[in-house]
Amino acid sequence: MDLEQLERRVQLMEDIQEIEHLQRIYGYYFDTHRWKDIVDLFSDNAESVEIVDHGLFLGKEGVRKMYWEWIGGKGEQRPSWVQFIVMQIGGVVTVNPDGKTATGRFQTWLCEAKPYGAFPRQEWLHGYYDNKYVKEDGKWKFSKLHWNNTFCSPFEDGWLKTPLMGLMNYHPTVKPDAPPTAFHPYPSGYHVPYPYKHPITGD
Amino acid sequence: MSTLEDLEARMTRLEDIKQIEKLQRIYGYYRDYGDWQKVVDLFSDDAESVEVADYGVYLGKQGVKRFYLELLGGKPPRVGMLSINMQIQGVITVDPKGKTAKGRWYGFMIEARPIVSLHEGELRQLWGHGIYENEYVKENGKWKIKKLHFYLNFRTPYEDGWLKTPVVGQNGPDKEVPPDLPPTAYHPYPSGFHVPCHWKHPITGK
Repeated sequence: MDLEQLERRVQLMEDIQEIEHLQRIYGYYFDTHRWKDIVDLFSDNAESVEIVDHGLFLGKEGVRKMYWEWIGGKGEQRPSWVQFIVMQIGGVVTVNPDGKTATGRFQTWLCEAKPYGAFPRQEWLHGYYDNKYVKEDGKWKFSKLHWNNTFCSPFEDGWLKTPLMGLMNYHPTVKPDAPPTAFHPYPSGYHVPYPYKHPITGD
Repeated sequence: MSTLEDLEARMTRLEDIKQIEKLQRIYGYYRDYGDWQKVVDLFSDDAESVEVADYGVYLGKQGVKRFYLELLGGKPPRVGMLSINMQIQGVITVDPKGKTAKGRWYGFMIEARPIVSLHEGELRQLWGHGIYENEYVKENGKWKIKKLHFYLNFRTPYEDGWLKTPVVGQNGPDKEVPPDLPPTAYHPYPSGFHVPCHWKHPITGK
């Protein structure tokens, strides 16, 4: 082995670590309502973002609409009891041979409290990410984020009794570019596709 | 200043740890979806055993196949069945020779399934928790699972919680796909059993 080969291996290791951190930082920003900082985690050439049944939002402008306008309510001040804890768990990051793009599967376990209509509710959520990343100017950024929701269930009921507290596919002013490409919560049995090949068989 | 060979060895160790972490997480994702053949293919052909909760010990690659394909995979699919086992907080220790490794993980489970030992009746929603102490082996440059042991801590109905009902139902021994050996360690909450850590203390070395 020569120094160039070693450098490539170090590079790959750094890339994976950086992407894992990017994904976890996304979670911490989400929890603390830092919507503009989240938008800045995306490439200016971002492909799309899709979360639950909000629909498909295209491009960096779609990313801004999703986080700043819809989820963030344009910076609306929320009561302190409104809580998101979006734990980012189980990263499987695969950097493509070009060293410039990557895929990642993560899962989330959420403890939330937020208003549903007039009522404060506490809920559990689970879901799988199917994400893509791109390296620009030496930094990894999101190029695509898709969070597939398994369930969103009231604390008092659980996922078996109430898999979904209600649809979230309507916003009075923020409109997606396309309907959801995949929204199949429990108990559909839907399998979010794996972005990676089997590590042993390669299938 | 290290030589290139020293650096390569240190690099390989980091790569090994990362590959094993991915292997275990991928195991979790395959098992969530009941992709049992894919799970079996994560094991070495010279696998030692698999032991989960109170199912008992299944020996060798043949035992791995019997456990995942015949026992877990042998039941007809059912709408509403759910078993998510999040693979969390890995501690990986690679042997100095770089050919074998051990890993400890938490498994935190979110499930909906019938309580199998009693009847095939209504689905229950369950919380589960346990600890993995696993072994891995590197073959042809790829890390594979050599031995998997999941020590169940609790599996409780959602409505009760672990304090009221630590474990609901019984898994084994299965009559149709019996284990090769009874469980070597099945001590769920509130036994106070501590699953032994495979590593030596990182500071004192004890």
